Amino acid sequence: MDQTESLSKIPAGMRYYFGPEARLRRTVEETGMSIFDGWSYEEITTPTIDHYSLFEHGMGRAEAQRAFRFTDTDGRLLALRLDVTSAAARAAATLFAERERPLRLCYAAPVFRQQPQSHAEWRRESTQIGCELIGANTRVADLEVLVIASEFLRRLDLDGNYAITLNDVGIFNGVAERLRLDPTSREEMRQLIDVRNAADLERFLTPYTSAEEAQAFAQLTQLAGKRESLDLARSVISNEQSRAALDRLESLWNVIESLGLTGCFEIDLGDVARLDYYTGLTFKIYVKGAGYRVGSGGRYDDLTASFGKAEPAVGFVLDLDALTDVVHLHTADVSATLASQAEPPELTANDSEEEPPGDSRDPSKNPSEVFIEALKRRAKGERVSLKLGR
Amino acid sequence: MPELTIAVAKGRLQDEALALLAAAGAGVSSQDLSSRRLAMEDESGRYRFIFVKPADVPVYVEHGIADCGVVGRDVLLESGSDLLQPLTLEIGRCRIVVAARNGVSLNDFGMLRVATKYPCIAAAHFGTRGRPVEIIELSGSVELAPGLGLADCIVDLVESGRTLRENGLKEVEVIDESTGRLVVNRASYQLKAKPIARLIGALSNRIEGA
Repeated sequence: MDQTESLSKIPAGMRYYFGPEARLRRTVEETGMSIFDGWSYEEITTPTIDHYSLFEHGMGRAEAQRAFRFTDTDGRLLALRLDVTSAAARAAATLFAERERPLRLCYAAPVFRQQPQSHAEWRRESTQIGCELIGANTRVADLEVLVIASEFLRRLDLDGNYAITLNDVGIFNGVAERLRLDPTSREEMRQLIDVRNAADLERFLTPYTSAEEAQAFAQLTQLAGKRESLDLARSVISNEQSRAALDRLESLWNVIESLGLTGCFEIDLGDVARLDYYTGLTFKIYVKGAGYRVGSGGRYDDLTASFGKAEPAVGFVLDLDALTDVVHLHTADVSATLASQAEPPELTANDSEEEPPGDSRDPSKNPSEVFIEALKRRAKGERVSLKLGR
Repeated sequence: MPELTIAVAKGRLQDEALALLAAAGAGVSSQDLSSRRLAMEDESGRYRFIFVKPADVPVYVEHGIADCGVVGRDVLLESGSDLLQPLTLEIGRCRIVVAARNGVSLNDFGMLRVATKYPCIAAAHFGTRGRPVEIIELSGSVELAPGLGLADCIVDLVESGRTLRENGLKEVEVIDESTGRLVVNRASYQLKAKPIARLIGALSNRIEGA
């Protein structure tokens, strides 16, 4: 076996970061973390290795199964961190149980998936940057995380090339309940809405409702828009649960409008991903240049209950690596500026013991003098680069 | 600068897909069509077309390199891509079937050897029925495999059934129907909402009108 080959390979879905890209990634991370800090979010670092059951409870079985899994010395199943939210929710219910509410937590940490999310999301290690607001179930709490997300995107100078789409799971749930769907048909309807297949959705709905209603509802899921989407939805949907969800969305939209932020927000009633996880507001974040969504969030009021303390929570997460890629594309000059940082002056240091005796020795380049000079420059905050010889 | 990039599957669907797109206001000049270029703009300059192998359509669209694509449902089922499928285009209608040699009953096998270009569809089909199978992946002329003893049956796309008959095979079971689909990238759907809505509208008018 050729050993050099196997040693030089890196596993699928893993990569290096270096140079301007690594610096840019650090800048994006610092931008996000400083915004969270500015909104009084406290940083939390959760374990890299945790019990598999944590993620099964926290994310649902289907999501959790994507984890890298292995066993502890006692035989219990462990997993590499799959998300931060699960452990943050556990901490909120246990470690921080007595703390004053609301609890504001933020993080930037790598997560690992054995199976990539889709063909386009090839990474198996990615960095999640996000925040959780725990212990408040108000419109203001929902708005707080939406405003933070939009501030983050605005600060990345993407020229407005992004969209945050809003929905509320109550709308789908209300309709599914009114149609008295069993779990299988419910999932079928969800999938048809998820891929925006209006024609098949209309066919699916026909046995349950009038042809007119089926057609109107099917068209609805294809719409992404502003306030008019809500008005249209009201003309089609009449059940109480969906209506209440539409009212909630509208009251969020009113505030977004008054803040002058409607440019980057959309209402997308066809976003029905992970309905079992979210309990109210859901949102997705898309940025031009990334073929898949770079972030998602919403209200998950049922999660902390599985750790012994039921309380409302809302939060979102962005994929730092995907964001870095996009910012890299959008602002090619940013990386150019970073790369062209003035080259530091080189200080020559000779190690007298290795240096052959003779004329090449320069008494002014004695190592301690070089370091005295270097430390002086460092004290002034300058960059130094020692020339070391070989 | 074209508003949308559309990936079109070469081969079986291509002519029908281009005719439908042309009828929906996204036509390519005959001069461009007769060229060998794999990327071209339509006459309005709003759309850029790229012509790729069917299995590559979901790849281009999922990565967002193409905003939309026209491809058969068989390819989507096989690839398991995460794409929006807003429209069923009434083109390229065919069936994905299990076929075996005349007179052979598949129930007589403890394990089936299945030759196919669709390993995922075949595995899922027999998997849900609890039938142990060995999937033999081929890239073409699948109909030969049972006669030559490579496999007990095949899973393949059938339009008229003539190729099956002429190779001594018969349809045993229909797994699914397949027609052409319009697929859309999830991010493009949000970030290029207007041009995409216009394309969907124009295409669905043509389909309903047909």
